[in-house]
Amino acid sequence: MNIKSILKSTLSLLLVASLFISCDDDSTSSTPMEPSVSAPSSQNALVGDAVELTFNVTVSGGFASATAAAENGSATISSQPSSGATSGSVVVSYSASSAGAGSVTITVTDSEGLSDNATAVLTISEEETTIRVVDNITGETTWETGKTYILGGRIAVIAGATLTIEGGAVVKGEAGTGANATALLVARDGTLNANGTLDAPIIFTSVADEITPEQVASGDFTSPNLDPDVNGLWGGVIVLGNAPISASNEGGDVNEVQIEGIPTSDSNGLYGGSDESDSSGSITYISIRHGGSNIGEGNEINGLTLGGVGNGTVIENIEIVANQDDGVEFFGGSVNATNVMVWNNGDDAVDTDQAWSGTIDNMLLVSPGDSPFELDGPEGSFTSSGHTITNATVYVAGNGAEEMIDVDDNTDVNMSNILFFGLNEGSIISSDYPDYAANTNGFSITNIEVVLPAGTAVADFFPEGLIPEVTAVGSVGEATVGADITAFAWTWARQSGALDDLGL
Amino acid sequence: MKTILKITLILILAFVPFRIFAQDDMSNTADEEPGLIRGSILDEESGEPIFGVSVFVQNTSGGASTDFDGKFDIELPAGTYDLRITYVSYRTLIIESVEVTPGEVTILSSIMLSKSVEEMDEVVVTASAINTSEVAMMSKKMKAANLMDGISAQQFDRVGDSDAADAIKRVTGVSIEDGKYVFVRGLGDRYTKTMLNSIDIPSLDPDKNSLQIDIFPTNLIDNMVITKSAVADMPADFTGGIVNIETKAFPEEPFFDVSASIGYNPDMHFSSEFLTYEGSNTDFLGFDNGKRDLPTGAENDRIPTPISGDSPDQVNDFLQGFDSTLGPYATTNPMDYSIGVSLGNQFRVATDKRLGYILSATYRNSYTHYNDYQFGEYQTQPNPTDYDLVYATRQSGTVSDRNVLAGGLAGIAYKTSRSKYNLTGMHLQNGESSATNFFIDNSENAPGQSGYTADSYNLVYGERSVTNFMLRGTHYFTSSNWEIDWRVSPTYSTMVDPDIRKTAYTLSVSGQAPRFVAGAGGNPSRIWRDMEEVNYAGRLDVSKEFQMLNNPSTLKFGANYVYKERDYEILTFDMQNFGSWPDFTGDPSEIFRDENIYPNGTIYYQSGNPDPNPNKYNSTVENIAAYVSNEFYPITNLKVYLGLRAENYVQRHTGRDALFAQGDVSGNNLDNEKVLDALDFFPSTNLTYNVSDNQNIRFSYSKTIARPSFKELSFAQILDPISDRIFNGGLFAIGEWDGNLTETRINNIDFRWERFSTRGQLMSVSLFYKSFDDPIEIVRVQAQATSSEFQPRNVGNGEVFGAEFEFRKALGFISPLLRDFSFNGNLTIVESEIDMTNQEYLARKSREKVGENINDTRQMAGQAPFMVNAGLQYTNPAIGLDAGFFYNLNGETLAIVGGGLFPDVYVSPFHNLRFNMNKSLGDEGQTSINLSVSNILNDTREEIYQGFRADDEIFSLFTPGRAVSLGIKYAF
Repeated sequence: MNIKSILKSTLSLLLVASLFISCDDDSTSSTPMEPSVSAPSSQNALVGDAVELTFNVTVSGGFASATAAAENGSATISSQPSSGATSGSVVVSYSASSAGAGSVTITVTDSEGLSDNATAVLTISEEETTIRVVDNITGETTWETGKTYILGGRIAVIAGATLTIEGGAVVKGEAGTGANATALLVARDGTLNANGTLDAPIIFTSVADEITPEQVASGDFTSPNLDPDVNGLWGGVIVLGNAPISASNEGGDVNEVQIEGIPTSDSNGLYGGSDESDSSGSITYISIRHGGSNIGEGNEINGLTLGGVGNGTVIENIEIVANQDDGVEFFGGSVNATNVMVWNNGDDAVDTDQAWSGTIDNMLLVSPGDSPFELDGPEGSFTSSGHTITNATVYVAGNGAEEMIDVDDNTDVNMSNILFFGLNEGSIISSDYPDYAANTNGFSITNIEVVLPAGTAVADFFPEGLIPEVTAVGSVGEATVGADITAFAWTWARQSGALDDLGL
Repeated sequence: MKTILKITLILILAFVPFRIFAQDDMSNTADEEPGLIRGSILDEESGEPIFGVSVFVQNTSGGASTDFDGKFDIELPAGTYDLRITYVSYRTLIIESVEVTPGEVTILSSIMLSKSVEEMDEVVVTASAINTSEVAMMSKKMKAANLMDGISAQQFDRVGDSDAADAIKRVTGVSIEDGKYVFVRGLGDRYTKTMLNSIDIPSLDPDKNSLQIDIFPTNLIDNMVITKSAVADMPADFTGGIVNIETKAFPEEPFFDVSASIGYNPDMHFSSEFLTYEGSNTDFLGFDNGKRDLPTGAENDRIPTPISGDSPDQVNDFLQGFDSTLGPYATTNPMDYSIGVSLGNQFRVATDKRLGYILSATYRNSYTHYNDYQFGEYQTQPNPTDYDLVYATRQSGTVSDRNVLAGGLAGIAYKTSRSKYNLTGMHLQNGESSATNFFIDNSENAPGQSGYTADSYNLVYGERSVTNFMLRGTHYFTSSNWEIDWRVSPTYSTMVDPDIRKTAYTLSVSGQAPRFVAGAGGNPSRIWRDMEEVNYAGRLDVSKEFQMLNNPSTLKFGANYVYKERDYEILTFDMQNFGSWPDFTGDPSEIFRDENIYPNGTIYYQSGNPDPNPNKYNSTVENIAAYVSNEFYPITNLKVYLGLRAENYVQRHTGRDALFAQGDVSGNNLDNEKVLDALDFFPSTNLTYNVSDNQNIRFSYSKTIARPSFKELSFAQILDPISDRIFNGGLFAIGEWDGNLTETRINNIDFRWERFSTRGQLMSVSLFYKSFDDPIEIVRVQAQATSSEFQPRNVGNGEVFGAEFEFRKALGFISPLLRDFSFNGNLTIVESEIDMTNQEYLARKSREKVGENINDTRQMAGQAPFMVNAGLQYTNPAIGLDAGFFYNLNGETLAIVGGGLFPDVYVSPFHNLRFNMNKSLGDEGQTSINLSVSNILNDTREEIYQGFRADDEIFSLFTPGRAVSLGIKYAF
């Protein structure tokens, strides 16, 4: 009934319209004018690929002929109006010969011999520079310098496969949440070699970010359009390995568990094993921005998630900006990390679980949404020698006055040389600190310096047992512990001036 | 809905003239209105109606003969008459003193004729003796080929039960869960089935197998039968029991009843803390008028967001499509109430043709309110000497719920001398609006948990409807004793949860303002769930009575066809900020304000729905069945029933997992592919040895099946927004589970001794054994420690061995004073054992505590180890009073299978004591009053975690409180 009436009304509208059009034709046919040609707007083309260009023509004197001429390539007319037609289109097939600019000009002549021409302009490149990825990486794949890769889903580098990402490449995740979230997931026995450089880091960001490989190549690593506090636009980077974990269901037939943020229905999300020196590849100079999509309550994707990653893996010079969940989270494993910066993330900055046994050396944490350090220990019966966090500088402000260090009775961490500044009123160390300090394994937090807000004392922020380890300093400049800030010269935080604003 | 109202109206109008005509029919003689005697005549031995029996009115010329339903009616002037009932080879029966009053129907239900041994044998009884016996159902039960029990209109009319759930609790061996779901022998919902007029009806609850039966008023019900051992003409997919409700076709007497009730629960009603929210203005009718509809464009996989490329105005326009209400407010709730009207009649339209109709409408509004509802997620500890369970998340808070049920049923029936036609239509409309506020405490000490506290608000609306039509024909070939019965029945059902809103403020440890933290309490989210199901059922049953080995026997054969199709979809949206959240105070009404919505503020919604959507599926079932059975006596007193049923069951699924949905072709995708395809043969054998007139020994064997549901055989991942628990479809291969979810095949053996005596007394002892191949259980997903995920899986084989003791005893033997009291009860004790899968065994072994000894077998999930039902009743029809106490208790039942990190969850015993009283008032009992008190012991509903040497911890807990309800029914 509805379809019929739609058809009817469409038909009658068409009839009325055609009446008007034919009237129009009648009125103009008495006074012939020169033909008019309009060119399509500028286009992109690849060298060697044929591109179809459609020119619209109006030939009141009746179409007679058309010719096409090309710059930097060849052009042939593939279709044109029939002889005597008063309007129509000329389609030209263009094939470029080299990168740069190209153009196609067509000339249309009517039966009276009058003619007009128009030129279409093209940008010719050697090859495609934006590639959308929807399939898992199952072999040897390289993502190249100068190109942008769009993650169309949760892309896994599956066991046995290797993904190499060259410095200067930009990886962007499409928007979505839940089952729709995008991420790069390196499964156990998969390898990620993402080695950026000081001058050409690898940027992981959202499709909403207008940053380009050209911009990165020019040395500008800042986002041209997104603020450094916009989060949750895509997932994040997840690396999983075979190193030991202390998970709650180990000891049965499995010593593997499913990583947070990946539904159990995807077996690429399993991690854990017995190979302490396992290698998942090498990750250097990468900046991960605007991620942290929600999967379910308490089940988000961290900026960089490391599950059971072995110490054969290299992780150096990492920047995480505006991740909705934690910045970096270690679930067991033995991997070490050097020069790690986390800026404006929504939850904890560093989160450790399941008896991770590596070391983070040189770390800068700025304005986390929750605890800068959320540190846990074994969840199963496996225990390790514990992990180490040393040489860290923490700017606390903005975290809603949550705990600066969150430890509990089974936290297996040694922390040393930590500098805190920008404290909130009410900032504390976990109330479980005495339980932690009472551990029999010798784990301890030592050598803390703090820049106190005016009118406050060390005891306002630190528990009694920790006070002997805390030294108040007048300013960041006077501190003798903390991170070597020069390691973060390449980061967006530094380039944007945010670190200068903090006096770093 | 509008159309349904219209249809109802048309039906009512259509019937009005008939009613007038029906009255005219009886007022055709001059001075005094005549009356009507109406009765039915049954074979005492078989309980079957007898055709062609002559009924003479002594000393008059009046008389009639019974039709193929054994029914007759005779119109007579007012007065007192004797009836003489004769039939060849049966004893002649004389019924004395049958009163006929002007314009009324005198009913003689269940007149039993017995076989005569001598010629001219005569029995004399009074009319009142006929009407107080319960022999019909008892005889049916005693003479049935299989184990069955039931209750007929005759019984519940007498005691005034108002709805089917009320009435069925009088049947031994049956318990009622939540006042509406039937459980038989303590077997869970998976193994129980509910049918209407022998046709499958989908449940209003998507997670339940069986239909809630409290929606049927008793005056529409002819009988309810519970089948406990299989027969070939019933579907094979039950194990505990099938409850079949047959609606009336030809009401014995005209009725026009109006009823109303109120229910009061001091713990729930008139509470000023009842949570509610602005719903649609048709919520009171049980449906949403569109206020909760998905905003335009939200169904697309790309929705306007600050980063979608749409202009800020477009994004704002789109966001304005979402309802701005995200939290509840407190108000004072009224108490429960309901009203109902039902009418029906039958009348003659020609000499041997009659028409019957029934019509009913009910409306019910109920409120539940729990001040302290609790949920918990608990875990075991790794250290073998740490016995205590530790919590990952605890939630406690308020749950308020308003439930509206509106329903209508209309039936029209037409009977000729050889055929009967019956058309019924039913619509049920149910809307449930709930609002909750929970305090969430997540422990950082538990594995995988980050530790936070949050204040959460949920707004949920569930709209369900079922529309069913049935056309049935019965044809009786009196000369050859063939009977053909056919039914076709389409059912349309919808279950929609539009705009579930979940908002949780993460609280600050240091007393700062609450905010949204994705990694803690999460961002606000909204969910739309939509399910539609069509169900076409048809069946043809043919039976013939004949003589075999000089005894009556019955041959039956037939076919059954069922086609079901379900479409399901879940759409989710997460609130995000583009930059930072506005400053909040913790009041959910402050969030979705104009100034906060992009681009005025930072708030926008992000889609969680890829295209294709992994949470969208279509499933179909085609079940073609055929059966043949014969019932005969190889020797006198031994009845043998042999049946064989074949079912060809094909279930198809169209769906995909998240991986495929995101574009990876290596993901799983099913396009109308078979997920179940089996031809099964289900033999059933029932032997009944009639030890004496009132004693039977029975043996039965049958094979039955339990099949996974549509939801279980899917790639769906369904988040329960209130408890935050995730259901995974069984098709996902997770860890050791290969994703091949299959049917459970069950062998059933029953052995029973039973003795019947007068006034419905009985005693029986049964032993039963059931073996389960590949039973399905809901299993905790071990690989996932961060969230609570569950999946249906086939586990190791199981066995159930049980004993059942059942009795109904009148207490007159103690003292004549107690002659109107009766005591009934049943006790079922069940030993169940299931083989653990290797994965489960190893997971349990990994957390074996010092002193604990873990076996590789355990109790079967869902099977209560014992079940007690008891009732003490006073019944005195002379004064129209029926009152009783009813008690039900199920033993501690394993509900969710744990292992490893996760302890097992058990349903704690609930001591359910209930009082019910019905009293009819007035000369003819036009008014009846019902008073009931539920949960007299004020027990708590509790599901608990249990661990070795550990204190029990709460999985869920709520206190239903005591409720009193008072109903009144007036018959015009």
